[in-house]
Amino acid sequence: MSKHSSKVTEVELHAYVDGLLDTDRVELIERYLADNPDKAEELQIWKNQNQALKSLFEPAAREPIPDRLKPENVWLSQKETSIRWKSIAAAITLFAIGSTTGWFGRELASPNTAQALTFAEQAINAHSVFAVEVRHPVEVSADEQTHLVGWLSNRLGKPISAPNLESQGFKLIGGRLLPASEGPAAQFMYEDASGRRITLYAVSNKSERLAAFRFFKEADYNAFYWLDTSISYAIVGNVSRDDLKELATEIYQQLT
Amino acid sequence: MTKFLDEIEACVPSLRRYARALLRDVDLADDLVQDTLERALNKQKLWLPIGKLNSWLFKIMLNIYRNDLRSRKRQSHVVSIDDLATPPVTPPEQPAKLLLSEVASALNKLPDEQRQVLLLVAIEGFSYAEGAGILKIPIGTFMSRLGRARSTLRQLTSESGKPTLRRVK
Repeated sequence: MSKHSSKVTEVELHAYVDGLLDTDRVELIERYLADNPDKAEELQIWKNQNQALKSLFEPAAREPIPDRLKPENVWLSQKETSIRWKSIAAAITLFAIGSTTGWFGRELASPNTAQALTFAEQAINAHSVFAVEVRHPVEVSADEQTHLVGWLSNRLGKPISAPNLESQGFKLIGGRLLPASEGPAAQFMYEDASGRRITLYAVSNKSERLAAFRFFKEADYNAFYWLDTSISYAIVGNVSRDDLKELATEIYQQLT
Repeated sequence: MTKFLDEIEACVPSLRRYARALLRDVDLADDLVQDTLERALNKQKLWLPIGKLNSWLFKIMLNIYRNDLRSRKRQSHVVSIDDLATPPVTPPEQPAKLLLSEVASALNKLPDEQRQVLLLVAIEGFSYAEGAGILKIPIGTFMSRLGRARSTLRQLTSESGKPTLRRVK
């Protein structure tokens, strides 16, 4: 916008009221308002609105901060929760699969548990980044499912498929490839009728580590994950633990 | 870490103020702020000291709020003027006086998109570019929502002090 342009824009009128206008332009705007009393009246109303809104809610900012909103307390309670989850995960198998692959015998001690949690954290991060995307939630859509599955299997180096979750009310939107600390990760995204999204995150399991169904929670997101002999999976969403467990069970049955 | 926590704490009053304006109910508003803080602390490693901490926190808060709107978890319910935590006061001598009660009631009738934008500008004083970044929308969209918010609010209130009966979607 040239300093010398005599055209007054709507944006500048708003900016004038909100104290965001370049000082170079103020004189021009004021002359314009002097010549346009209707506009001047409108701007005065905007100014009054601003003032009213400030008066209504400013007192909230002057209240003392309640304990639960002190960042230090939030931090301390998060550390507590994470320590609790680590010990629960190490001590209990959350889901009985009943196979002969020695799941129960492979209960993990703490060093391995730390690795398994990193996988879940990555799955949740990936979910939180992409599940909120309106325009670009996936890179390849479910319209090209064959291509999507072929591409991701190729990159993971192992055959992978997108389970059908329509019986649970979730439709596949599509998927994408992501970098994970262990190598490429596949992410399939599903959506239900209300617009809720869940993601299935998978990496090729290069370690010998196995884990039976584990539950992990971070902020709003719940995740169930399992480290299988070939591929590790995590299912993530802002969905109740029970619902998510049903989904996890369904996925496991379809994929193995 | 302590420095990071202190810097976040300095932003809490304005987060509370904005959440209160969005949700009206004190507890729901503080719940939103608490969820925001939890998420911010979880994402600490994603915070780059480029740009303002305040904008980053507001971005997180609005993300949670809009997601919850979609999953219908957080409905801002209409609170009668008597239930507001702070007693409204009519500002002294103003040429075209707006009763605070009218504005509060009109604010609640604004479409969410418009309300979010207007409050970022009017109460929190964010620039238009910052506000657009917080809401992750193009600046043109931000400005058009701001314009609509102001004109809708105008239609819903009147200088004579008589609220209009027209509901605007």
